[in-house]
Amino acid sequence: MAEKELRQIAIYGKGGIGKSTTTQNLTAGLAELGKKVMVVGCDPKADSTRLLLGGLHQKTVLDTLREDGDVELNSIMKEGFGGTRCVESGGPEPGVGCAGRGIITSIGLLERLGAYTEDLDYVFYDVLGDVVCGGFAMPIREGKAKEIYIVASGEMMALYAANNISKGISRYARTGGVRLGGIICNSRNVDREKELLEAFAKELGTQLIYFVPRDNIVQRAEINKKTVIAYDPNSKQADEYRSLAEAIDKNTFLTVPKPMTQERLEEILIEHGLIDTEEYAQAQAI
Amino acid sequence: MGAEIIEQERFTCALGAMQTVVAIPKALPILHSGPGCGDMVSGFFQRSKGYAGGSTTPCSNFSEKEVVFGGVNRLRELVDNSYKILNSDLQVIFTGCTAGIVGDDVQSVAEEFRDQGKPIVYVESPGFKSNNYVSHSVVVNAIIDQYVSQYEDESTFRSQKNTVNVFASIPYQDMFWRGNLDEYKRLLEAIGLKVNILFGDKSEGVREWQSIPKANFNILVSPWYGKDIVDHLKDVYGQPYVQYPNIPIGANETEKFLNKVIAFAIEQGADINEVEAKRFIKRESDAYYAQLEDLATFLLEFRYGLPNHAHIIHDAGYVLGISKFLINETGVIPKEQFIVDDTPEKYQEEIAKELQSISKKREVPVFFSPDAGKAQNKIREITHKGKGIIIGAGWDKQIAREKNYDFISAAIPTDYRLVMRTGYVGFTGGLRLIEDIYSNTLSKFA
Repeated sequence: MAEKELRQIAIYGKGGIGKSTTTQNLTAGLAELGKKVMVVGCDPKADSTRLLLGGLHQKTVLDTLREDGDVELNSIMKEGFGGTRCVESGGPEPGVGCAGRGIITSIGLLERLGAYTEDLDYVFYDVLGDVVCGGFAMPIREGKAKEIYIVASGEMMALYAANNISKGISRYARTGGVRLGGIICNSRNVDREKELLEAFAKELGTQLIYFVPRDNIVQRAEINKKTVIAYDPNSKQADEYRSLAEAIDKNTFLTVPKPMTQERLEEILIEHGLIDTEEYAQAQAI
Repeated sequence: MGAEIIEQERFTCALGAMQTVVAIPKALPILHSGPGCGDMVSGFFQRSKGYAGGSTTPCSNFSEKEVVFGGVNRLRELVDNSYKILNSDLQVIFTGCTAGIVGDDVQSVAEEFRDQGKPIVYVESPGFKSNNYVSHSVVVNAIIDQYVSQYEDESTFRSQKNTVNVFASIPYQDMFWRGNLDEYKRLLEAIGLKVNILFGDKSEGVREWQSIPKANFNILVSPWYGKDIVDHLKDVYGQPYVQYPNIPIGANETEKFLNKVIAFAIEQGADINEVEAKRFIKRESDAYYAQLEDLATFLLEFRYGLPNHAHIIHDAGYVLGISKFLINETGVIPKEQFIVDDTPEKYQEEIAKELQSISKKREVPVFFSPDAGKAQNKIREITHKGKGIIIGAGWDKQIAREKNYDFISAAIPTDYRLVMRTGYVGFTGGLRLIEDIYSNTLSKFA
């Protein structure tokens, strides 16, 4: 039997775009397909695995550094929905310390503790917001995550952020093997959203891998601390996430992104009516 | 463009200014830095322990845990414990690079302890911010703003007409700082001033610092470093200052220095007996020249073995001071000079002009660069007639040997010379420098 290849995937995107929700619903879908998945939350808030675990994770990887004791893997890794392994990197209190360094330290600790076992099919890194410093790029450095998906929507700031994140990816693509696997649209129900995202993805040299429609069931499931697949397995939205999981499982289109200039990005937004041409011209004149 | 590599830096990063605190009797530096930073500083300055420097200095040993979660709790614990062990009069917290990058709120820790009545000050001194020539002023100003300010009484600002604060040698960076400060104090007291010398065992420690606002004016002996201090004091206490651009070495320069101070003091309303002061200067000067007269026969007999030109590799205050001294008092001609203190550009022109003023006939080329390795290479390329002398740091001994020049170790790092109370300032300092120059020559005849 051929040796199983571990796919390490990092999910990036603008803050609040729905990275954690998408990642957890997607991994729930993969778990249903019988895949062995580990989810590593890379956010000091430690809320990236809440839906899989049915509540907030109690002990984070970095808590072990804080406490200085001997730590065993099973005290920081909890089993969630469908056998997913859930780990939270954790980090400092808001306003102190260095969260970026925290992520670097945390991934190093996970490796030392032997979290990356051979039976795993996937490791997902759910990274907070923008790639503001070297620490937040850690999952795509040093040959860890080789595959990136960016969660975006048809809003201007989400696309700005996605373009910016692509700059980080292309930087590390030169030295490591990291590639962009596609854009996941977490729909906000704005006009011509799918077209815009498709055009944007094409310009970046990647694909819109899946368009997740907006559905309030996602919020209801969240209130109940569940993924949609666990909360209402027969809902239409659960099927959407299953399809997303399948798309990612089958995806082989991995590219080095070609980030756009600010001007080009704005042109695309104008072409797809996201920026009002007249207003834009006025703003430029000022 | 690639990064420029600097060889043989003759100063340290900002954290080196912890020696400014070590030089205040019973003051305690507290390092909020990685392990090894303090060792680097004390190693560079050599014999630099003082009351609480070197291996005594408490350090938070900032490590990964502090980077990720912030190090203020560790710092709080460290400060608390240092009170249990060391009985100090003033504590100054220094932040190293890691604490600076992480952005620890050290100010609030210092304020917590200050609220409990502790005499504690904090300084942001991450190594990437500046060097110790610059951060020396930052430290002194921090002590003024956070400690001295507690003893302020506006009605007493400048109330002591004959008291002055002296800012001259940077402790430990100037390897002769103790002897030099001794001589400034002796000379200035002899002309009728009361001197806050602030550093060293002949100062009165923190009590002297507390009286800084009462001084009538300040004296700055430096072409640039330390200027931020006297500018700051002018702002906060309205104290004017008199600046002398170089270290006064030998009779000629010392007379000029003292006369300038006397004139300024009188202008500021100090009660100076000018006749007495001038009489003191003359007495000192006469004694000095009497010593030189004794040298006449020696100088004549050895005229072919003595150095006739010099290269100095030092900070701006020394390069100016020694050059003036050599040309005026020894006849050794200052040739290419190298200022290696990373002089900010805005001061360079003034310093070069000052150096040109020493002789109407000769031009003295001066090079500003913190890269002393470049200075050595330059010296290697230059040939002048006759025997030369190099006055620099211990690291310049090799180039002197290559060129068969005489050599004096007068700057740090000074591996080949032990200095305790020696100084080059003033009348006594000038004689000492002459001793050093010619002993060097004589030792070759053994």
